[in-house]
Amino acid sequence: MAAYHVVLIHFPIALWMVSSLCIFIRAFDDGVLGQAMDRALPVFLVLGVIMGAIAYLVGLSVWPWETLSSTPLGRNHMLMASWSLAYFTLLAFIRYRHGPAIWQGLSRWIMFLLAGIGVVLVGITGTLGGHLVGNYTEVSELLRRFGWEVYTTYYLPDLTLAIIGVVTLVLLAIGLLGRNRSTTG
Amino acid sequence: MQNIKLTGAFALFSGALLVSWVTHGTGVVRDDPERNISIPDTLTVPLQVQASYNDQDIFFRYRWPSASMGIFHDILRYEDGSWITEGGGMPGPNPFGVHEDRVAMMLDDGSVPEFGRYGGYITIGDGLAGLTDEAPEEVTKYLPMTRNTLGQWDDMAPDSELAQLRSAGYFLDLWHWRGARSNPVNEADDQNVGAGRDGDAGEASYTTNWDSDISQPRVMFDIASAGYRALNWDDVQAGRVSQEQTYALIADAAVPYDPDAGWQNGDLLPRRVIRPGASSRGDIRAEGRWADGYWDVTLARALDTGNPVDDKILQDLGTYDVAFAIHRNATGGRWHYVSLPFSLGLAREADIMATRFVGTMPQWSDTWSDVTLFYPGQVTWPSLNSAVHGGASSIADRVPVRARHSPEQLAYYGVEHEFRTEIRRQWLMTLLAGILLIGAFGVALNATIVSRKGA
Repeated sequence: MAAYHVVLIHFPIALWMVSSLCIFIRAFDDGVLGQAMDRALPVFLVLGVIMGAIAYLVGLSVWPWETLSSTPLGRNHMLMASWSLAYFTLLAFIRYRHGPAIWQGLSRWIMFLLAGIGVVLVGITGTLGGHLVGNYTEVSELLRRFGWEVYTTYYLPDLTLAIIGVVTLVLLAIGLLGRNRSTTG
Repeated sequence: MQNIKLTGAFALFSGALLVSWVTHGTGVVRDDPERNISIPDTLTVPLQVQASYNDQDIFFRYRWPSASMGIFHDILRYEDGSWITEGGGMPGPNPFGVHEDRVAMMLDDGSVPEFGRYGGYITIGDGLAGLTDEAPEEVTKYLPMTRNTLGQWDDMAPDSELAQLRSAGYFLDLWHWRGARSNPVNEADDQNVGAGRDGDAGEASYTTNWDSDISQPRVMFDIASAGYRALNWDDVQAGRVSQEQTYALIADAAVPYDPDAGWQNGDLLPRRVIRPGASSRGDIRAEGRWADGYWDVTLARALDTGNPVDDKILQDLGTYDVAFAIHRNATGGRWHYVSLPFSLGLAREADIMATRFVGTMPQWSDTWSDVTLFYPGQVTWPSLNSAVHGGASSIADRVPVRARHSPEQLAYYGVEHEFRTEIRRQWLMTLLAGILLIGAFGVALNATIVSRKGA
């Protein structure tokens, strides 16, 4: 299945990269080009998520779970792939749910920054996948210089997990408060 | 207000990612003597190698950094009327800094083909002493085919099969230089790895300086030649004993122990008596000097020792496989640094090329073969051939380790393997936490944008 995963994974990577490009352009351009980018964006995002989910599932069958969860590169690749898929699912949902309203005011710059984070996530995921099949790039050296040795598993200590848990709850609270205010207002 | 919420949500999300980045990889890896775990501060060490040979002998020269000079192994320290043993092996460095430095080289002539591809990894079977899952009895390095089942350290092949394997050359020659137990008599311990890590036929270069019947040392220094009956514990710990003075109890030079010699607290006698090795075990000559933070060790042996079931016989224009290891910083057992396998050519192209010379001693040049040694952790041969190793199928396909891994990479993997259960748990929780964080951020984002739209 490894060969199929390699073939399939090019589709979501391409779609997510183009989606990010659309977001970058739309964030700066309210004109014809920006409008065109925004119209194409939900198509790219939704197709990216669908193809990403398929490639992800095929990827899970390349190695047995025992192998995947025991090797540092396998763990890292799966972690980043899971986050990338979740992340672009979020972007697809937001764009699909709110339409062009996301380009009003501050939220357009939030979209711009989110697209940047997405590019980094997908880039790291692809780099790690390359390592797994023996194709190395200098991206791993860049990550090393920024503090992550890709041959070690990316995991968090309990304290950081607790902090993320608290942040998650606060974000949910913001979401619920915002929804209530919107409903009542 | 909505902008504040939107900005706050993004700041929280970004902040969580930042904290994650800064703290990742911490909180799990720590020394745990109960599980035989001690992780060295430095995971790789450079080693330089040269080789040269004449019609009779082959010479290897090794050079590696070592902050201290490990010329003592276990010792006897006098305190309040008793002799106390110090300097024994343990997980990680001995706290008193007393445990000998070593360099070792495994050598094969192609009779163990897996060795040329995977080096010393093939000798690390399950149950070895020093592993977290060590066997109840002491198990040393062994080759896979000496057991009926991979991973079963006590499922030995029949004696007749072991004998056949041995005569077919299925063993590794092991040159084992010891800073305390062989160097003082200018020798290295000639050993081999087959069904276990054993000495060649004959006698080792060391024996024990302890008479257990009367609970006292057997010998002490000769004050007439050494200038003292004993060394001093404080001097040894502080590294104030040099190779220029008498520091080892050589059998011929030591004198019988005198219990009435007026022993003082802090007097120290080596717990080993050193003598030239006998027969096949004493085949390797050595000279090792420490200076300016580096060991410089030269080993020499006959190309043909006449002991083909103990030693690999070398020939002009032959090619062989070698792998190296060192102990430093008062460590023993598995707390060493090892190399990947290298090819050795006698006047033939190879990773390490031994040059031919005429005369009795080689004239070493400044050209070295550079080897990166690494801390191997507890990676065993059975685990490398199991589902926990993504490259198990590559091993089955005979892909050499050097085609896939670097020493630095293997050092990281070695450490992670020692904490595989804990790291897998933290990794799974990290994966889940990240997804929940992204989901929660989506909820916040959705609500704040909805509010804007509604407003």
